[in-house]
Amino acid sequence: MIVAILELRAHILRFLQRFQLVVEPVVKFIIAFVVFRTINNAIGHETMLMSLPIELLLSLLGTFTPAVILILLAAVVSLAHIYVASPILAILVAILMAILYCFIARFSGKYGYVVLATPILFLLKIPYVIPLILGLVANPMTIIPTACGVVIYRMFQVVSSAAVADSTLAMEDILTLYIDVIDRLIADKQMILTIAVFFIIILAMYLVRKISMEYVFEVSIAVGAIVCILGFLVADTVLHAELDIISMVFGTVGSMLIALVFQFFRLALDYTAVERVQFEDDDYYYYVKAVPKINLAVPERSVKKISENDETVFSDEIDDAELSEEERYALGEESVEDEEEDEPFFHNQ
Amino acid sequence: MLNNRKVRLMTRLAMYEQTEGKEDVRLSKYFRSDYVRLNVLKTVVAITLGYLLVMVLLVVYHSEYLIREAVTLDYEGIILRYVGIYIIILSIYCGVGMIGYMIKYRASRKKLAKYFRMLRRLRILYREEGEPTEAEEESIGYDRGNT
Repeated sequence: MIVAILELRAHILRFLQRFQLVVEPVVKFIIAFVVFRTINNAIGHETMLMSLPIELLLSLLGTFTPAVILILLAAVVSLAHIYVASPILAILVAILMAILYCFIARFSGKYGYVVLATPILFLLKIPYVIPLILGLVANPMTIIPTACGVVIYRMFQVVSSAAVADSTLAMEDILTLYIDVIDRLIADKQMILTIAVFFIIILAMYLVRKISMEYVFEVSIAVGAIVCILGFLVADTVLHAELDIISMVFGTVGSMLIALVFQFFRLALDYTAVERVQFEDDDYYYYVKAVPKINLAVPERSVKKISENDETVFSDEIDDAELSEEERYALGEESVEDEEEDEPFFHNQ
Repeated sequence: MLNNRKVRLMTRLAMYEQTEGKEDVRLSKYFRSDYVRLNVLKTVVAITLGYLLVMVLLVVYHSEYLIREAVTLDYEGIILRYVGIYIIILSIYCGVGMIGYMIKYRASRKKLAKYFRMLRRLRILYREEGEPTEAEEESIGYDRGNT
């Protein structure tokens, strides 16, 4: 059974590796599409933005641009929806976003996309994936973008519920509406509570992960999930935060499964992160494809194709006896089975 | 003739150059004090902007009260209080930011130093490849002694 799963994993990895150039944009496109779909479903007011061609076009734009553009696009689309329902609330949301960026979000570093991922996963009912995975791969500082994501999600919840009531409002009621929204945002116990529990999850998982033992990542995920369920239960009973406990428990279990699958393929992510580099010296021009090793921390580089003065040297011309195992594997002649016993291609000094 | 060791070393160098090396090289163009100062300055601008926006929201939120009490308000006290809060927030951010950016700069410098060590190894490989002259042989020995 386990062998079959591992084989499947190896197959998937090989597939991903081979077609990385195709798979990567496809995955990005799917992610972008899910993002825009979810936003439209949750706060769709502007019907033009909700049409399929526009959604596809936006997703396509998100596919071929850096992640930060996708975040920006998502923010603009959300603001547009709010604007149609209530211009005054859209301005308020824009100001709040700017404040959030100035004070907190600009310190999120390379985890900036978490700010977008958190509200989207909230809408998909599995926000617990975020702390469970961040606890696995990142340090506790990543609570910064996570907290921003939670705030943005709650903000849109409050604002879109207010926006529905807003449609019949007269001008003089704008101030009342504004005060009402701000009051509800400040008094939002759930928001503070969610951020606190998420922070405890990330911290607990980070600490567990540092312990030296077997299956430490799986244990860490389990600890994270337990902390999550207990944390929200305690918060619910002590603070009466009116949480939906059943969906929380199911969401946590689902998130845990996702985190486990992620962990199973984590090195797969490394594996698909194939580095292609090109450089030259006096005599050659090098096209090098470097594959990080699947199960070992030490990256394995296999030299795939090297050409001399833009003339490809075909693998047949290379004497097999001179090739190392890695190189033969790279040429597709060696099976993958015993790769764990391979020596690291590089020896660190 | 292909030299495998050279290819590996160059691959590693190129990988670094094309990923995190970019940022490190960019950082290395600054003195540490300049880098930290620039980033703290950016933080000051962001905090000031953010604080102003918060003030706008606050003023609108309390606008009814402000208009009603416009004549009797203790403006001096209010301004002093909010400027005080601003200064406290700013100094916290600047202090933490300064330490954070210093740590970041130092880490980046370390990575860069490793990169240069690899470059030196590559240079040695080059010298070994080309039939070295006597003077070069001497310097290879010298380099090796140092690495």
